[in-house]
Amino acid sequence: MDLLAQILINGVLLGGLYAVMALGLALVWGVLNIVNLAHGAFIMLGGYLSWHLYTYLGIDPFLGLPITAVVMFCLGYVLQRGVLNLIVRAPMFNTLLITFGLEVVLTYLAQLAFSADFRTINPSYAGSSIALGPVVVPVARLMAFGVAVALTVGMWLFLLHSRLGRAIRATAQNLVAARLYGVEPRHLYAMTFGIGIGLAGAAGGLYGTVSQIDPYIGATLTAKSFAIAIIGGLDNPLGVLVGGLVLGIIESLTVLYVGATFGDVASFGVLVLVLIFRPSGLLGKTA
Amino acid sequence: MSNMTMRLAGALFGAVALSSFPAMAEDLVLGASVQLTGPVANTGRYYKDAYQFTIDKINEAGGVKVGDKQYKLALKLYDNQSDVNLSVRQYTQLISQDKVNLLLGPFASNFALADSAVSEKYQVPMVQGGGASDQIFSRKFKYIFGTLAPASNYFGSTVKMMKELDPAPKSVALLYADDAFDVSVAEGTRPLLKDAGITVALDERYTSNASDFNSLLSQIKSANVDAVLVAGHETEILNFVRQAKSLAVAPKLYSFTVGVPSEDFRKALGKDADYAFGMSAWLPSADLKDKYFGDAAAFAEAYKAKFGYEPDYHAASGAADVEALAQAVEAAGTLDPKAVRDAIAKLSFDSLYGKIAFAENGQIDLPQTVIQVQDGKVAAVYGAKGFIEKPKYPMPAWNAR
Repeated sequence: MDLLAQILINGVLLGGLYAVMALGLALVWGVLNIVNLAHGAFIMLGGYLSWHLYTYLGIDPFLGLPITAVVMFCLGYVLQRGVLNLIVRAPMFNTLLITFGLEVVLTYLAQLAFSADFRTINPSYAGSSIALGPVVVPVARLMAFGVAVALTVGMWLFLLHSRLGRAIRATAQNLVAARLYGVEPRHLYAMTFGIGIGLAGAAGGLYGTVSQIDPYIGATLTAKSFAIAIIGGLDNPLGVLVGGLVLGIIESLTVLYVGATFGDVASFGVLVLVLIFRPSGLLGKTA
Repeated sequence: MSNMTMRLAGALFGAVALSSFPAMAEDLVLGASVQLTGPVANTGRYYKDAYQFTIDKINEAGGVKVGDKQYKLALKLYDNQSDVNLSVRQYTQLISQDKVNLLLGPFASNFALADSAVSEKYQVPMVQGGGASDQIFSRKFKYIFGTLAPASNYFGSTVKMMKELDPAPKSVALLYADDAFDVSVAEGTRPLLKDAGITVALDERYTSNASDFNSLLSQIKSANVDAVLVAGHETEILNFVRQAKSLAVAPKLYSFTVGVPSEDFRKALGKDADYAFGMSAWLPSADLKDKYFGDAAAFAEAYKAKFGYEPDYHAASGAADVEALAQAVEAAGTLDPKAVRDAIAKLSFDSLYGKIAFAENGQIDLPQTVIQVQDGKVAAVYGAKGFIEKPKYPMPAWNAR
């Protein structure tokens, strides 16, 4: 029983981390209709940025998250205006190609710049934990979970209530109507992509405190984020949080009851089931 | 033709001329495909650096003498991007197009397993120091030789040591990744544990590159095992240790097949690397005499000075591979791959890596020294003759460090 409780806690905390990784991907996908295959690479870059801030400037990884997010936002904004905007009207296949290319370029640039050595962001509290009876709650994961929930709810409120958020949603729903109301799509797309990449950067900082960073972590993180975005649905950030939690809990339980090699089988199995039974995501509107 | 194109053509021709001239007549070319990029690039570089370093050293000493002709060694190296299929294609290309004389190996068992099929097919000997899985050597191949100790015996010395510890661990958890090397390790370790009378309380295979060990760690904690043995890759081991700390899982002992000997493992974990056990078939000792480098300590020092990081057993094994090929060619007195192959099989010489002499199946057998990270440094703890330095055992709880 204690074991089960511990596994569920693990799953929930893992799920929070998953959610924050997928948040930016879902946003960009939902609004720009770009499946950003370089999303994981941006998480990786965010991780390196946090690592540098922590290692050379001594900035705590959690306090450094806003810096990482802002820098990554700027990178995202520029990339969207300069590169991705060229293909925003192009068929899906072109967007996949260009983001895949971006992934390759970023990954290998990262190896050139940072080498293939593993980096960890290891503040003193990274390994500490709180004991709740027999159950142990890792502090860094709990903090990462808190950030994940805050970012998700923040995103949700932002999209619902702020002027920019409403413009983003309007553009996602009907571009022509949004333009008629004075939305400038080029700027708006770049803002959206920037926010998506900023979120990826923040996720990278969190990832570096609980796991480690090397230039090649991106591809698997993209795949995970992709699955979560589909499970959670694209039109609501809360859906992404639910998707992350579902995936985290299912993976943890699978490792306990089935075997440690079946975690991915379970998560992608869930993905297939969701696609069959609820194609617009767990919280998405049923078609 | 415009001026620009002319110049370009000239530069191109120059480059071709430059790269092809030294490769003529007097060069003995060794071919290899190594992971310079991709997820295992951080270990792949050991082989690139060790190969080039050893080749340069041998050339400095005049190269190799084959019959009455003097040859310089040259290296033809490809980056396989950590992709097995690409690696197989590159070895095929090395033999059929680049016409290299002899082959050096890639890193990792699953690569060596696939690539050795190429060397076997074309009957060009490959001496590799990156694949330890017993599977590589159980196929009766004649052209593959390996300088890593057998995977099945990686935990041999550790289990032996466990029996002599006080209090001796009674139960273990055995975790291993689902690839050729780690499965061989697990298969070899089970009977060792059984003979030692140690119960295997948890025996779990996990996915290579897994990043989440929380569930397995919770099971380990719940089973309350004394020792944990993990066969995996460095990235997994790092995740394992960090997550063990964050879940306050502290068995009396844990030991890992990789990571512990390498510098970047200790750098990444900092103080948390302490108490981790591992094994190495090689330590940079001045007792290991070498024809080209003097001894292993001198090798390690020169290597670190040149590349800026400490060599571990991967690098030493790679250096030994180059030496084995050089010695075998000299002994054979010809570049004919078949004759060189027979000479490799008969080799017996002392190197910076230890005594190089291959068994019938092509694999070398070296004893594994148990090592432990103590105060940020690797200490040799247990060898063939028993304890060397006192192991820090049992490992204290994480909050008591």
